[in-house]
Amino acid sequence: MSDVTPIPSASCVLVSGGSRGLGLAIVKTIVEHGAKVAAFARTVTPELQELADAHPDRVHVGSVDATDRRAVTSFIKEAEAKLGPIDSLVNNAAVGQDSLHVHTSPDRIEQIIETNLTAPLVLTRAVLRRIMAGPGRGRIVFITSICAQRGYAGLVAYSATKGGLDSAMRTIAREMHGRVLANSIAPGFFASEMSSVLGQTQLDAITRRTPSGRLVEPDDIIPYIDLLLFEDTNTNGQVLVVDGGGSI
Amino acid sequence: MSQLSREQVREMMADVMAKQGKTLPDDDATALDTFGFRSLDFSELALKVEDEIDEELNFDAPGLRSIETIGDVLDFIGQLVEQA
Repeated sequence: MSDVTPIPSASCVLVSGGSRGLGLAIVKTIVEHGAKVAAFARTVTPELQELADAHPDRVHVGSVDATDRRAVTSFIKEAEAKLGPIDSLVNNAAVGQDSLHVHTSPDRIEQIIETNLTAPLVLTRAVLRRIMAGPGRGRIVFITSICAQRGYAGLVAYSATKGGLDSAMRTIAREMHGRVLANSIAPGFFASEMSSVLGQTQLDAITRRTPSGRLVEPDDIIPYIDLLLFEDTNTNGQVLVVDGGGSI
Repeated sequence: MSQLSREQVREMMADVMAKQGKTLPDDDATALDTFGFRSLDFSELALKVEDEIDEELNFDAPGLRSIETIGDVLDFIGQLVEQA
């Protein structure tokens, strides 16, 4: 007979891409909840290092490329040696795209898929194995994108990877029956990433088309991270869209 | 531009417009929106150039967004061909 008690709150969370922006905000909220967190990114920013220095017993950070399987495995071992068993994962690391499909090289398509789809699936596999070997139950969160549900020019490969993660998430929720809560958070476009590539006129147009009147900020996502990692809501196999209503 | 002259690219651009029943203005300073040259028209032109030089021209969208005139198109294609 399966265990039907609620899956416990996250106590030790692995976060990929935790050095800046949304990833850093995710690391901070986990720390604020009193949980332990192991965060890696290609580069450890001063802000992330500051968190690790302030909470040496609860925060472990490292400079790891998410596509380097050996380095990721070593990081998980180091993290568990320092913090104890990992029971949760936030898959946040990703690379963006801003090129029409016909002008995106096959090599670039391959890189996007490797970073945004293969690497998180492999990382999820590793964490699920750790959960099964250790705490027995846990929580997995994928940061995907509204691009997985709506078409946006210049994001073909990126959208494919995010849609792939949403599909994988649902299957994991089913496959890990009763042991793991798996969910996705699908943000709309972040003000910061949009402003780096678009002009003010285009930004204004996108904002006008968003019913809430503003683009997404990392702080909009954090309550959903808190919900999925720490609350008992029985939410499982779902994609939570946070986009100001831009996609409706 | 190593393998294609600016004039040859201009002729290809004129072909792209002609397929839509439009005429490419003579003045390189003409704004693209005045004669309906859209981003996919640029893609079509780039693919024609690729066929001609037998190299792929891959590029991100931000560079494309700064293009406003016929001269900008010819300059951008020229840069892409040189990098190919």
